[in-house]
Amino acid sequence: MRVYRVFMHRLRSIFRKSWADTELQHEIEIHLEQLVKEAVASGMNESEARVVARRRFGPLEKTKEECRDTRRVDVIDNFTRDVRYALRMICSKRSFSVPALLTLALGIGANIAIFSVVNAVLIRSLPYAEPEKLVGVSNSAVFSGQVVNDWPLSLEMYAAYNEQAQSFADFGVWTPGAAAVTGAGDPEQVAIVSMTHGVLPALGVQPYSGRCFSSADEVPGAQKAVILSYKYWQRRFGGSESVLGQLVLIDFVSYQVVGVMPRSFEFLNVDPDVFLAQSVASGAPGSEDADNFGVARLKPGVSLAQANQDLARVLSIWGAGNAQWGQALEELRVKPNIHPLKQDVVGDVGAILKILMGALLIVLLLVCANVANLVLVRAQARGEEFAIRTALGAGRGRIAGQLIVESLALATLGGAGGLALAYAALRVLVTHGPKTLPRISEIGLDSTSILFALACSLLSGTLFGFIAVLKSGLSSRPQNARGSSPSVEQLHAQNALVVAQVALALVLLVGAGLLVRSFIALSAVKPGFTHPEQIQTIRLFIPEAQIREPERVAQMQADILHEVAAIPGVTAAGFGTALPLELEYHNGNPVSVNGKTPVGRIPPNRTIKYVSPGLFAALGTRLIAGRDFAWSDLVSPHRVAIISENMARENWDDPPDALGERIRIGTDGPWSVIVGVAENVYDDGVDRQPPGIVYFPGLRRTVAFALRSSRAGTEGLLKEITEKIRAVDSSLPLANIRTLGDLNRLAMERRAFALVLLGIAAVMAVTLSIIGVYGVLAYAVAQRRKEISIRVAVGAGPRTIKSLFLRQGLILACLGGAIGLVSARGVSHWMASLLFGVRPGDPLTYGVSCAVIVAATLAASYVPSRRASSLDPIEALRSD
Amino acid sequence: MPKPSDLLQGTLDLLILKTIATVPLHGWAVAKRIQVLSGEVLAVGQGSLYPALHRLEQQGWLRAEWKDSDLGRPAKVYSLTRAGRKQLERELDSWSRLSSAVQLLIETA
Repeated sequence: MRVYRVFMHRLRSIFRKSWADTELQHEIEIHLEQLVKEAVASGMNESEARVVARRRFGPLEKTKEECRDTRRVDVIDNFTRDVRYALRMICSKRSFSVPALLTLALGIGANIAIFSVVNAVLIRSLPYAEPEKLVGVSNSAVFSGQVVNDWPLSLEMYAAYNEQAQSFADFGVWTPGAAAVTGAGDPEQVAIVSMTHGVLPALGVQPYSGRCFSSADEVPGAQKAVILSYKYWQRRFGGSESVLGQLVLIDFVSYQVVGVMPRSFEFLNVDPDVFLAQSVASGAPGSEDADNFGVARLKPGVSLAQANQDLARVLSIWGAGNAQWGQALEELRVKPNIHPLKQDVVGDVGAILKILMGALLIVLLLVCANVANLVLVRAQARGEEFAIRTALGAGRGRIAGQLIVESLALATLGGAGGLALAYAALRVLVTHGPKTLPRISEIGLDSTSILFALACSLLSGTLFGFIAVLKSGLSSRPQNARGSSPSVEQLHAQNALVVAQVALALVLLVGAGLLVRSFIALSAVKPGFTHPEQIQTIRLFIPEAQIREPERVAQMQADILHEVAAIPGVTAAGFGTALPLELEYHNGNPVSVNGKTPVGRIPPNRTIKYVSPGLFAALGTRLIAGRDFAWSDLVSPHRVAIISENMARENWDDPPDALGERIRIGTDGPWSVIVGVAENVYDDGVDRQPPGIVYFPGLRRTVAFALRSSRAGTEGLLKEITEKIRAVDSSLPLANIRTLGDLNRLAMERRAFALVLLGIAAVMAVTLSIIGVYGVLAYAVAQRRKEISIRVAVGAGPRTIKSLFLRQGLILACLGGAIGLVSARGVSHWMASLLFGVRPGDPLTYGVSCAVIVAATLAASYVPSRRASSLDPIEALRSD
Repeated sequence: MPKPSDLLQGTLDLLILKTIATVPLHGWAVAKRIQVLSGEVLAVGQGSLYPALHRLEQQGWLRAEWKDSDLGRPAKVYSLTRAGRKQLERELDSWSRLSSAVQLLIETA
């Protein structure tokens, strides 16, 4: 009650100020009247009485002021006055406010932009209910000494987990892929996700119309079911409501549409057109393939550790009853790996974004240092104003308060500018940024980003405001009203700010330099294929429903290859189940080597590719020893294989020694004789170790063609290729029409993205510190005009004067550089995961960065130094 | 007439609260009543009375209303709020402790 009364009083005092004043006036008048009456009663006349009454009352205005003071509105009053004053100052003192606002807008804007990316990619990465309960389910295993944490589940494992695990409220597995949709309209290849019925309930989503999958959809032989994405429903069916129940031919099998997902629905970080019900049949072919990703919702109160324990129990029971897997589980040390689902969605982008965020916070600190410098300089120039105000009774707190308010006003305006810049930057990023950045389309300014912007502005405003107050000498002693030399304390503060700037800029330079070095090292790696931008790829699928006999499939593929190889400008052509960098088509199997793999042990996993003769030539993959496949190898009863160089060296030291040796898939397949050794292909990207690859001659229903031509990627070539393929068979769906260069660029894109942004941050940092050094020296020159003039007058030459200031710049640069070197060494190990072929302590990078920063600061100090040396002493002395 | 400063620090609040406790009064009456009830010993200067009244009002211990008064025109009349009554008790308490302490000191020293 009392709090309420007090609050209402304050409100009234603020908003009804004039009313409160009139009231006070009345109250005091009444009192005066009584005093007059008393005086009259004691026998005075009216006018005498009035004088006496006034005298007895005492200082009228002072009393009123004291009454007003009890209202405690002066703080708010002063605040609004300060804000008005600050805004007027910002408008009138452009030489001060424009650079300050610009740097603030840049610094804050860059931070908002990156924060928005972090917010979209990392923070809001799981747009589902209670995302903290969502987990990814995979296994960890040890393959030839290397721990693999994201080994997917087989359908059989899924069935075991699903039946016996007690930690999951909902659980399902999914696997991405591609399929051809035929029937009405052009045949087209669509992105699919096959999933069991537990996946959508685990994510907690409901279809827009129709139903989710049920376990009945998974029974082999039942009508197959498909759920459409909203986007695909609109595109293929025009959003027609009658789509439910319709049959669609997917890979020439008929699926019934049972549902449509909502428009806002996103499936983790993949963007499928349709969702297919996974049929789960134990013992069916493919049910032992480990290629399913698990997703589950934990029961309330179940921790990750408990869930892992629970699954480990299920896995050991399952292994004990499974002849084929029991031994493998033991040998590969397979353990369940339940992890936050966020990890699957965000991947390694998290590390990049955190480094960028750190870099941009450094930039913001630099901005604060620069603006603090400007505010300091201004505070010095306003020494006279402050002195007069102090003389008129303003307390130091009052003046400090005003400096803070001015800083906050500056920062808020700068932040508003930053918000506009960030908006523009994000528009560019969304359209031109790396497509591999998860959830890139979600990036934009939302309320969280705007709150962040506000926090950035207020924090930086407070920061440089306080630096200015503490270092302007205001806190120690009042300045004299006459213009004076800057206090030693202020000069020290400015120098310290410059040293800090140089140090921070050096840290960023080193970071960017290390990335550049990594990029150069990456570009120097021979990826196992040449001129990827000249390799045109097309993926082709020949369904069983269309051509049953494998021999005819082989014939058709050979025919197509023959046709397209004859296109003018195509210098080489071939096909294979997977081209380099086509991770989604990778297929791994354990491969044993005759006489090398111990009997009874599971051999290491290798990438298996089935390729046509001529593919190596088309890709530019060199054969180190032996020969390429010949067409006769396809039909010959003698099985042959080509292996990658690293696999050959692993087993036989010298690649040619591998020729004639025998290998086989698994431990009981037919042997194949090695006829060639191919150079390593960096299939997982040039920054990863190249995998061991085994090539077999052979044909599969789905293959990718690679054509080498200088016209790769042009409309003309594509048209000719399509014509040739359609001439062989007009109903074949084509997909992944791109150049290998596109794929290569995609693989490098994240790193390039990090490099570009960190580069921008570094350039900003160096620019800001140049401005900082220049500003401080220019100011020092202006302040020391008198001293310089006297020096010149008594005989100092221009060189002496110039070197005086250059030396100051150099000392600042060296001090900052030394601090920066130590800090850079300290923080560089954080970015180790982004580095390639360069150590975090790379001396060349550090050396060059130091040279750049010292050169930049020297350049920045040169201009003011020259100005100092060309000063006309007579004029300078006269003007003071 | 004793100056306001002769009043012991902090006792003005107590005097005002006590004076108003029984009957709502306007500023003039508060001053008069303090003077009369103290046997003309205590006089509160206007310069401290009004700021004190306003402060007590801002603190929520007094409530003020414009009412017709014995002065022949509406005046701002102050009365105690519930919180003010509690504050008065606290002030009385601390006053009695202070005065007995002073008394003790005078008697024994």
